[in-house]
Amino acid sequence: MAKQIVEMEISAAKMELPDTKTVTFKWPEGYEQEFKTGQFITVYWPDTTNYKRAYSLSSCALDRGFYEVTVKRDGKMGTRIVDWAKVGDKMFVIPPVGRFLPVYEENKHLICIAGGSGVTPFRGFVREATRRGLKTRITILYSVKTTSDIIFNEEFRELEQQNPFFKFHVTCTRLGAADPWPGRRGRINAEWVKEHICDLPNTVFYACGPNELVDATEALVLEEMKVPKEQMKTEKWG
Amino acid sequence: MSNVPSDLKYAKSHEWVRVEGDVATVGISDHAQHELTDVVFVETPQAGREVKAGEACAVVESVKTASDVYSPVSGAVQEINGALSDNPALVNSDPYGAGWFYKIKLSNPAELEQLMTASEYSKQIGA
Repeated sequence: MAKQIVEMEISAAKMELPDTKTVTFKWPEGYEQEFKTGQFITVYWPDTTNYKRAYSLSSCALDRGFYEVTVKRDGKMGTRIVDWAKVGDKMFVIPPVGRFLPVYEENKHLICIAGGSGVTPFRGFVREATRRGLKTRITILYSVKTTSDIIFNEEFRELEQQNPFFKFHVTCTRLGAADPWPGRRGRINAEWVKEHICDLPNTVFYACGPNELVDATEALVLEEMKVPKEQMKTEKWG
Repeated sequence: MSNVPSDLKYAKSHEWVRVEGDVATVGISDHAQHELTDVVFVETPQAGREVKAGEACAVVESVKTASDVYSPVSGAVQEINGALSDNPALVNSDPYGAGWFYKIKLSNPAELEQLMTASEYSKQIGA
């Protein structure tokens, strides 16, 4: 069945960081759409119909009645959404698609490697697992430049409290030496990833973020750690 | 498999350069457009602008991301590809032809020696 493109109203707009905004698109009356956590929607403004951008859902499939995306000020669309999108505005939304889907099996461990705004689909992963009370282990390894760039920091910390099977780890790549950040510094490397593996055959690796990060993570997991390709899913610029 | 024409020079950041006399035409490679996916917007530099090699001077935005385009060479921008404002998808359909970004009058032709040949670039992208 063809995907139905629908005009949706923005019902909430929240700045997560000075350059990152979560926008909520309210489903119009009568709209029903089956979709999966981890998929992405494509949006465009009514006045520029040939100019579309795709964003991973930061909400999950249990969230009915709305879609949420978390957008960084990047390019013409990202700038317009972050700086100008407000409650009451309308955008066209092409329903969710994509195969970057969480494997919610009890014995599985999802290691989710993210860079920058690539963390947004993982919010949906954890949100669904937590609400359903699943025992699937989820570990996010999140690379940001500085502590000011951590999207959903408080929310992930709260989810850690609610969900004993979820862990959130951050590494900062460009912090000054004098910064008091007590956490990890430097890029994601094999040693750090290996620290979080407890049962390699039952581990599924996810990588989402800039192409460079995803390519480097693929090389690290598939080539350096010799993990079979079937155990890895990637999404470039989530 | 990405197309890497042998008569062009390439930057590590995936721009190509075609030199005719003291003027170079700049665009992004087939590999780059493939990685970006569907291009929806291109912001080119103003004609007359002086740019330095390595300077971010254009933006290419696809359905999935926005990326800076770095000038592979220094000089004054002579002409921009106006067709991209109406049809940015030319970058996908014809990256080495109708999808060119701008033409620049070279101020330091020796910089061309720092760029990669087609075979070197093919190696970089694993083509």
